[in-house]
Amino acid sequence: MTVLAAINVEAVVIFAIVLSITLGVTYWASKRMTGASTFYAAGRQITGLQNGLAISGDYLSAASFLGIAGLIFLYGFDGFLYSIGFLVAFLTVMFLLAERMRNAGKYTIADVLSFRLRERPARTAAALGTLAVAAFYLIAQMVGAGVLIQALVGIDFSIAVALTGAFMLCYVIFGGMLATTWVQIIKAVLLMAGILVMSIFVLETVGFNPIALFDDAEANTTAESTFSLAPGAFLSSPIDTVSLGLALVLGTAGLPHILMRFFTVPNARAARSSVVWAMFFIGGFYLLTTFIGFGARSVMGEAGVEAAGTGGNLAAPNLALELGGGAGTFGGDLFLAVIAGVAFATILAVVAGLVLSASGAVAHDIWSSIIRKGRDSEKEEVVVAKIAAASIGVIAILIAVIGGEGLNVSFMVGLAFAIAASANFPALVLALTWRRFNTVGAVCGVVLGVVSAILLIVVSPKVWPGADSDTGSPIGWTLANPGIVSIPLGFLGCILGTLLSTERANERSFHELYVRSETGLGAEKALH
Amino acid sequence: MADHDRSTIDWEAIERSPEFQELVHRRRAFVIPCTVFFLSWYLGFILLCAYAPDFMGESVYQGLTVGYCLALTQFLMVFVLGLWYLSKADKEFDPLAERAIAAHSDDAPQPGTRRAQEVRS
Repeated sequence: MTVLAAINVEAVVIFAIVLSITLGVTYWASKRMTGASTFYAAGRQITGLQNGLAISGDYLSAASFLGIAGLIFLYGFDGFLYSIGFLVAFLTVMFLLAERMRNAGKYTIADVLSFRLRERPARTAAALGTLAVAAFYLIAQMVGAGVLIQALVGIDFSIAVALTGAFMLCYVIFGGMLATTWVQIIKAVLLMAGILVMSIFVLETVGFNPIALFDDAEANTTAESTFSLAPGAFLSSPIDTVSLGLALVLGTAGLPHILMRFFTVPNARAARSSVVWAMFFIGGFYLLTTFIGFGARSVMGEAGVEAAGTGGNLAAPNLALELGGGAGTFGGDLFLAVIAGVAFATILAVVAGLVLSASGAVAHDIWSSIIRKGRDSEKEEVVVAKIAAASIGVIAILIAVIGGEGLNVSFMVGLAFAIAASANFPALVLALTWRRFNTVGAVCGVVLGVVSAILLIVVSPKVWPGADSDTGSPIGWTLANPGIVSIPLGFLGCILGTLLSTERANERSFHELYVRSETGLGAEKALH
Repeated sequence: MADHDRSTIDWEAIERSPEFQELVHRRRAFVIPCTVFFLSWYLGFILLCAYAPDFMGESVYQGLTVGYCLALTQFLMVFVLGLWYLSKADKEFDPLAERAIAAHSDDAPQPGTRRAQEVRS
């Protein structure tokens, strides 16, 4: 193993603690694996509070923690804009999908579509939507993991990515959803505790007066500083801001790894309470993130910009170092190591959830339902799911290692949210509520949503930073976030496909889906 | 609740039942206005950030800006709507759903459920 000279011993110890706890949980979970229901849905025995924590653990990625704190440090208010979108999105999830998913679904979002639509095309479309979102999100998280661990611990990028991937696969393959859930719960608790302690340290520097923090932050800017208490410093194009806002608030309701969490609770009531728990955890977390971001600006000022790296990702760890007593002190190194350990746990929990949802799409939707037409045994499906998880994990590791640090993480996360909002969200909502919706509509909507989101991102100025035109985009496209165009296109595809096709919707199964999703009659039971 | 066999349940009859219709209407009467409200309040905030950054950057009190205060109202909105829906669903929607199932499933008809409905409404 090539180890860089500047390896951080405290961080390695904390990483080892995080890993041994999560591996212990995985061992415990592996003893309780009984079949597909345990593997995909933890036997549907997770309580509302536990699931609320697990949703927070599944949702709050390193981008939410280090990324948003960094954006606030660099640009001020605009970083906070992301948090608002990420949080309000849970109202969309609660009002439109959470309980209905629990009542109507089994293991994957394709279950809900194929309930009333022709199974093979509907499942294929849903699996396409799930895999597209999971792939981009997963690669982004892996690259982020490599960059962070390299910077924080001193391990080489490729080794850091491979290690993250190996542990992620270990949780998923040996412990399934049960282990993944508890890894997410542990991570959520660590993350909340970490950010709470850090916020208290920050607030202590200003005598526990948050407003003084804003004043200090603004006073700590120079003429060339990008920081502003007003919006527009980072998101300078108004129409792009609106487009991003739309993708954030609707995209969460189409993220397969988040929706999958609703299959792990015993009933709709628990699904509902878990969303509200998640709202409080996630909301509280994002409020505290502003203290970290503004605190980093107020403590480190413009001098800390260079050390914060691309996107300001290292602003929070550097702030921890300062608050603990500065570089070279035991307190500083320890605080930095703790925050690095929290960031590591954060990444592990998110990637495990993503791989699990992708393996469900491959094994449950494509293999079991489409290729084997339901003739396979439950045991076979679980084996295929594990093989799928391993393959997806290895491919993601390889892409992250080959693409290296140069892969644009924020572009891939943006793409994942855009696809989720433009493809998965319209198809799911219409399948659950629109009586006339049919298979052609679902396939058209998902395909149009996925293709338009990818194409518009590919031609966006973020991907073509060349100087040969004003925007860099080869066709002069100026929008960096495709949501404002691709979300309406996704809905349009669903609606036009339905209205223009001669296919008659299967009325009978709509009655069943409708009653079942509203009342929970006939819903999948918890294991006892 | 007994284990229901999907094929023996008369889904259409449940859907037509007054209990189910009332459940759906009441839930919609709550969820649709709430959804319209939260999306408008959120998109209004985003539009202000996008097109009126100077207004959002104005100070309310020292470093506390209009934008930050409006952002806090978004947090408040999420918490209040979340808790409100939770209590509404527990008190109102869940009992209605149970009645809709009980009155029309393949279980023995449960006396009193329909009458309870009439008395209450």
